[in-house]
Amino acid sequence: MKNKPYLILIFIFLIIIMMDVSTFAHKVNIFAYLEGDKVYTESYFNDGKKCIDSKIEVFDNRGNMLLESLTDEEGMFSFEIPSENVIDGDLKVVLTASMGHRAEYTISADELGDTVVSIEEKLEEPISVASPETILVDLKEIQLIIEDTLDEKLKPIMIEIKKSQEDRISPTEIIGGIGYIIGIFGIIAYFLSRKDNLKF
Amino acid sequence: MHISEGMLSAPVLFTGAGLTATAVAYSLKKMEHKEVPKVAILSSVFFVASLIHVPVGPSSVHLILNGIIGILLGWTAFPAILVALVLQGVLFQFGGITTLGVNTFNMALPAIICFYLFNRGVRGENNFIALMMAFVCGFLAILLSGVMVAAALVFTGEPFFQVAKLVLFIHLPVMILEGVLTTFCIGFLRKVRPEILNV
Repeated sequence: MKNKPYLILIFIFLIIIMMDVSTFAHKVNIFAYLEGDKVYTESYFNDGKKCIDSKIEVFDNRGNMLLESLTDEEGMFSFEIPSENVIDGDLKVVLTASMGHRAEYTISADELGDTVVSIEEKLEEPISVASPETILVDLKEIQLIIEDTLDEKLKPIMIEIKKSQEDRISPTEIIGGIGYIIGIFGIIAYFLSRKDNLKF
Repeated sequence: MHISEGMLSAPVLFTGAGLTATAVAYSLKKMEHKEVPKVAILSSVFFVASLIHVPVGPSSVHLILNGIIGILLGWTAFPAILVALVLQGVLFQFGGITTLGVNTFNMALPAIICFYLFNRGVRGENNFIALMMAFVCGFLAILLSGVMVAAALVFTGEPFFQVAKLVLFIHLPVMILEGVLTTFCIGFLRKVRPEILNV
């Protein structure tokens, strides 16, 4: 009888050893990035499996649904940034996968604004410089070229950053969780034992 | 099996939370002092079982082991599963805090149903019948959980046919796997530690 807990503990540790901890989890992820005037989204389960044919909805900051679609075979979905008069804030992309899995990703207004508005805004300052027209054209072109190249060069980095921001399950958390469980039931055991003592 | 935050309507959430609270209160009252370590250990088993993945079709499912937990714990499966789900929610973002009640109920009620259905068979004299019962127990626990998840989604307004189809097809491999695992566990316990099962 007294060996029983050890037996089951061994079972637990066998399970821990069996699995590749870092890649397993049970939830879906979605992340979105901008490229030019398009938003690209990528959806996958945390074990790396792509969400195929999952529903994607895009909402504006007032909760109106802008568009609805399904992901393709790669778990990807892309759409053009809605024109400015439709959006005036954050865009929210909501992914609904099978069996009650859901994830959302918010593209902040800043990020969106950068691609849509920035060129006009930033140009207002240099206009005060002499011979505005030629400079304006040049600056505009240069700025566009820079934007494009930067988007392209930074894309892999952005994807990496966004992926690394997601929570991965570490063995520390698993061991910690088991510790919590033992602790919680320890407290329960304490109160039960007090109750028993009072009775006798 | 873990329904995410924001998937369910308020009435479903409140019903789930209420039922879970009642069941947990009842089982804590019933729980005996000497049972506590067993509950803690099986709670840990449940906590890590969800990290073992079985890739199936367009979704991704994992072990739940609520069949074996039900057989070994009976009513105390409720606090065991609740505690494990709270920690999975906080540490791994599985499911969610608002859906905690519904998720606990979806996984713990089948465990208890299996306890009442198969308790006698699994602890019986005949080894073969016990193992068969163990398989059916592991299988049925997942099936029932799936049906309850589907019911929760349907009550929230998802189309019935689509959800029901998903439940059956996606969880079929897990049902079989859990059936086999439960069979092995029961077979092992019957041989090595029959006193756990009070055979």
